[in-house]
Amino acid sequence: MTGLDQTLEALRAGALPRAGGTDLLARPHTPQVIADLRDVAELAGIHHLPDGSARIGATTTIAHLAADDRLLSTHPALVLAARTLATPQIRATATVGGNLLQRNRCPYLRNPAFTCHQTGGDGCPARTGWHSWAVAIDHSACIAPHPSSLAVPLLAHDARAELHPGGTIPLIDLYGDGTDPTRDHQLTSEQLLIAVHIPAPPEGERAVHQRTTPHGSTDWPLVEATARLLITSGNIASATVAIGGIARTPQRLTAVETALTGQPATTETANTAAAHATADCTPLPQTRHKTHLLHHTVLDTLRKALGDTS
Amino acid sequence: MKFTMNGRPVTVDGATAETAVGFIRETAGLTGAKPACGTGACGACTILVDGTAVAGCLTLCSDLEGREVTTVEGLGGTHPVQRAFAAHDALQCGYCTPGFVVAAAAFVDGWRAEHGDTTPSRELIAEALAGHLCRCGAYPGIYAAVEAACAGEHDDERPDVPPARVEALEKITGAACYTTDVRLAGQWEGVIVRSEHAHAEVTSISGQGAQLVELLGADRIARYVGQPIAAVAAPTRAEALAAAARVQVEYRPLPAALSFDPEEAPDAAAVYPSKDGRRGAPRSSEGPPSPARWRGNLRGPSGLSKRPRTAVRRIEQAREGNDERFFSATFSTAVQAHTALEPHACLARWDTGGDLHLHVSTQAVDRLAGQVAKRWRLRSEQVHLVAEHVGGGFGAKVNLTGEVVAAVELARLTGAPVRVVLDRAEELIDGGCRPGTRTELAMLADAEGRLAALTMDVHGDGGIAVANNAASLARYIYGNAPRRLRDFDVVTNRPPAAPFRGPGHPPMLWALEQAVDEMAHRLGTDPIELRRRWDGNPKRQALYDWAAELNAWRDRPPNGGQQGRHRRGVGVAVANYLYFLDPGTKVELTVEQGVVVARTATQDVGTGSRSVISQVVRETLGVTADRVRVEIGRTGTVHGPAAASSCSTPSIGPAAHDAARRLHSALDGRSLDDAEGLRVVGRRPWDRWGYVTPFPIGDFAIGRGFTGAVYVTEVEVDTHLGNVRVTRVSCGIAAGRVYSPRLARSQCHGGVIQGVGYALLEQRHTDPATGVVMTDSLADYRIPGIADTPEIIVYFHQDGWDHVSGRGTGLGEVSTMGVAASIGNAVRNATGWRPLDLPISPDRLLQGLAE
Repeated sequence: MTGLDQTLEALRAGALPRAGGTDLLARPHTPQVIADLRDVAELAGIHHLPDGSARIGATTTIAHLAADDRLLSTHPALVLAARTLATPQIRATATVGGNLLQRNRCPYLRNPAFTCHQTGGDGCPARTGWHSWAVAIDHSACIAPHPSSLAVPLLAHDARAELHPGGTIPLIDLYGDGTDPTRDHQLTSEQLLIAVHIPAPPEGERAVHQRTTPHGSTDWPLVEATARLLITSGNIASATVAIGGIARTPQRLTAVETALTGQPATTETANTAAAHATADCTPLPQTRHKTHLLHHTVLDTLRKALGDTS
Repeated sequence: MKFTMNGRPVTVDGATAETAVGFIRETAGLTGAKPACGTGACGACTILVDGTAVAGCLTLCSDLEGREVTTVEGLGGTHPVQRAFAAHDALQCGYCTPGFVVAAAAFVDGWRAEHGDTTPSRELIAEALAGHLCRCGAYPGIYAAVEAACAGEHDDERPDVPPARVEALEKITGAACYTTDVRLAGQWEGVIVRSEHAHAEVTSISGQGAQLVELLGADRIARYVGQPIAAVAAPTRAEALAAAARVQVEYRPLPAALSFDPEEAPDAAAVYPSKDGRRGAPRSSEGPPSPARWRGNLRGPSGLSKRPRTAVRRIEQAREGNDERFFSATFSTAVQAHTALEPHACLARWDTGGDLHLHVSTQAVDRLAGQVAKRWRLRSEQVHLVAEHVGGGFGAKVNLTGEVVAAVELARLTGAPVRVVLDRAEELIDGGCRPGTRTELAMLADAEGRLAALTMDVHGDGGIAVANNAASLARYIYGNAPRRLRDFDVVTNRPPAAPFRGPGHPPMLWALEQAVDEMAHRLGTDPIELRRRWDGNPKRQALYDWAAELNAWRDRPPNGGQQGRHRRGVGVAVANYLYFLDPGTKVELTVEQGVVVARTATQDVGTGSRSVISQVVRETLGVTADRVRVEIGRTGTVHGPAAASSCSTPSIGPAAHDAARRLHSALDGRSLDDAEGLRVVGRRPWDRWGYVTPFPIGDFAIGRGFTGAVYVTEVEVDTHLGNVRVTRVSCGIAAGRVYSPRLARSQCHGGVIQGVGYALLEQRHTDPATGVVMTDSLADYRIPGIADTPEIIVYFHQDGWDHVSGRGTGLGEVSTMGVAASIGNAVRNATGWRPLDLPISPDRLLQGLAE
């Protein structure tokens, strides 16, 4: 086992942190000096607390998360997201921290023939090139959506990220407001994500996650959404909706949440609320379909959370 | 560092940055696991670490410390799932098989421990194997094998279900040796340096001390990003990659033509300014190209029309008169990459006598050896070529390609054996593709509902390659109605297209078969009935009888009447293909220690040619399987066919039969044990009435008669999320006698699955400003996975080929050609919207439904 401080020392000396390494090893031109995080005890394991909350260590594998029955009962949307992302081989190795802090999937970023905002250049070749995979909320010079699936249910659950150094911050602060085109997260190269803390949901909450892909489970999602609804006496007492795949960061849909809260738990309410899902969309020439998919993905999750399976 | 592999302790000295699969293959020498994509997308390098399937390419050797590693070799060949893979023919080329087998073994063991000998759902199997890709499309067999293994049907050997393939055991155990697995003493690794410019003159190349050979043509022009410019070699791949990165290439950039635009093409920057350049352009179809004139980058028209002026006159009159029996539309298809899981690979060695020894991943052992002899001015007996097992080709490995040139030249330069293996990005950029197309089609029916006229202008998008032939192929179907068929190439500074499984047919049928469907709707006629009326081919008439009786067809929903979110549709399409053969094929039989050894210079790319030869020899001689051994995949024997144009089986089958008959006569009643050394050579007998081509062209002849296919395809469309799911494909094939129904069915499965990929998933993207191929990984270039597999029903109509020696032809290509068109027609039936552009992606479907 390696100590946390020893690892930070290596990072300060320029090593690249490696958790599962499923993306690091797949990317061209990987630097050779690697600080392996798998051996750091502080980053490992899921700890359930008596109140129903949990601390999920950053190097917990996706497969481990997906197989956690206790989390399945408390946070089903999170476990469902873990179960449906990537492939069994990737899930066996990839980690929660790696999923949250991975680089975006832009094929221009990943192609050594191009430079862009993220690689020291000052333009975005995707904007004038192939970008049907890109954002539908265009609020940055970079148009790559954040690829983390787990960030969506974690954001919906008001999770917090434990950093070292840096203390504990709201999960969304890992990403900032998304306007900075040069980076996919806000951590410095000498900072580590240690764990995420996910609070206990209220009794009786229904939480649903849906991943909308072009064709099947192994595809990167076009849109994903998590909805959490607490229904009491036929009314929606509280609602949280988060989405991914649409913007530079995962987003909360507060307008949808407002339209749900206090309303009867009916399909009509879901229809009305989902209409607000795309209010902020400013699609690119090749991402108009994503607006439509966002609307229907949010609608699907709301209906499932309401128990409407039609 | 220590770990356990297949029950044995392994010690690694010192630190290593190697990946797990790199160590297992290159140091430990176990080559079952294949590094086929390098990004964890294909699963061919899967190994078990403490019983869990992981991608060997994304695992570092150092991660294995203290772990228990199992590779396919460790399963020993007796795991129930291995037996089930062999029995259910869950493999074709076999390159992906070790990865599938390892993951499936872990799944089956886990399932049975928890659920006993019960059958899991297909959804669960698909989820368990979601991390694997099989380009041959062996998925139906894989489903069946995993189900049977879970149910405990293969715990013991099953002599009652012998493997469909004679080499099945080698492929399920990882013992099968592909070009990428060969390792010679003192071997060096070669890496190709590729152009960074879409169009440039290369003014200098400096190897910075590396062992370097140049690969440019005499004009020193690079015509696309990714074109081989030079190659370097070093003792290890890491050193070779570093040497390649140090090579300095100076370019004088030239204006580049990057957009597929027929209107701009005549005036765009010329890709081939000279006549010589045009003559040397690579070709995307097989056979000699039709002559055509060039205007700038626009080549054409060429084509084979029938009464074209009549066709055009009728079409123009109908267009002006708004005739309701007139239909016109512009269709398009995307560029599709071959994506064989074994990349292009060559290992070359020159011996001291000046002979050249090659291991190549090729579809054409004999033809390639001839091309090599010609290029390096060797006598044919000086070229020794081996392709023992070949991990798929689909048309991209028929000719002499860059990796062979690089390996041969580097081997000569260094004096060492040199191996050049393309990585997945190189493969997806420069490993071959089907040209994209844009087709303007117009069709007219007369008052009696007969085909009155057809015009098709097809512009091919084959990069620097020419000879798009899609329109011309519409000559051979639907009778003798007047038609004007014109083919063009829009030449651009992008990577060259190459022949791909049924070149020209899938894009031609995408347009033509949807037009016929549309005409049926306008005439109020059953689409099968209309085809029956227009189509004079008697073999396809029998398929129409079969198709019309299918429940799926009889119970199909009315057109476009559905309103709900999920809509079901049924579509039909047909395909027509020439019958090709290699009339010079021979098979040599020698009795060696009581066993008949069959040899011919052909190869098995996963189609089962080894097994066909074995079966024919066994049946003809009446001997058991242990008395026949087939040694193919190398030169040094009699001429054999290329695996191209579906000619293998109709060439080798009759030749093997002839050889076996001769051996039977020569034995003259003796037993094989008393005939050591007896040798005969069988020839492929002539077909009755000869061939359409008076003499073979490049070893190919066109025989008499057309093969045919009819596909009835069922889809479900999610109109909210834009997904099309193909639920079932019923595929009727009329290609004569089927030599081996199990192998033939497997091949048809693969044809259907590749057609599903063409219809729904596959699309190469290039950057419009630079010409860089953006879809250079298997995450960005999506091929069908196991979950994309529909239920596939295959029906063989075997009559009508009595004039053919052996009474059977090939079916590898006709089984894929019309699949996409049948999906298009099914989507139209489900939604009322007709897709004109491939692939039918969610964005297109949603836009189409919104309009």
